[in-house]
Amino acid sequence: MQYQSSLDRAGLIELAINRYFGSVDAKDLDAVVDCFHDNAMITVQTAFTIHEGKENIKRMFIDFMGAHKTIIHKDFTCTVDEGNGRIVASFTAELENDDGSWTRLSNTNFWRIRDDKFQEVYIYMSGDNPLT
Amino acid sequence: MTDKPYDYYIDFVTKRYFHGVDNYDMNMVLDCFHEDATLTEVTSMTVHEGRDAGIKTMFEGFLGAHSRVWHGNFVHTCDTKEASVCSQFSVEVTPHGESEPLRYENCNRFYIKDGKFSSVFIYMSGENLLK
Repeated sequence: MQYQSSLDRAGLIELAINRYFGSVDAKDLDAVVDCFHDNAMITVQTAFTIHEGKENIKRMFIDFMGAHKTIIHKDFTCTVDEGNGRIVASFTAELENDDGSWTRLSNTNFWRIRDDKFQEVYIYMSGDNPLT
Repeated sequence: MTDKPYDYYIDFVTKRYFHGVDNYDMNMVLDCFHEDATLTEVTSMTVHEGRDAGIKTMFEGFLGAHSRVWHGNFVHTCDTKEASVCSQFSVEVTPHGESEPLRYENCNRFYIKDGKFSSVFIYMSGENLLK
């Protein structure tokens, strides 16, 4: 689907990296969910898992944040398509599990932005899917 | 800003690289890569190094194992400032001796220098076919 975005290059990076991932890592659930439209969709493509609608996305993040003591996303490489309201980032995710062990993933997210929020998000993961 | 326009990157990925793969044109495919390029299948962390070494060997194995290969349903995220294209797409491959294709929903990240791939990263939705 093609959407109309109101964000420029800097705005797309601010939304995806600073507002979204910054809030995920800070476990600020309301700020994370505020990045999404009410009818947004997250697809973990490598696991064929789909979360549709803000409430289902919120439930997924409650579980994800509750399952990990520490969440770190870093080492971002961004590809920004300002004219089409799309941004992609590859990154490292480091997740501290309840038993103190760490899970490290090399992931890529694709975001499609409508106006100034996420309409569709696609996640490709290097390992097992923790976003269930 | 690089010296290549937006449509160069899209056409290079679709009309040269994927066209070459789908038509079993090994020369067209390999010509898309720099000699020292790398291709990494991230979901299994398999790294193929060198256009005429690891990458060529991988494509010989991949194309040799399938009677039909098709890439389509593309959505591209193209950044002319960073000379990179990230593409989501469907893949259908039919193994030799089989009648029904296997379907995957994959993505590639292409990083381009002087008009050709310097590094490519692939995520696959199922088993890694690019061994």
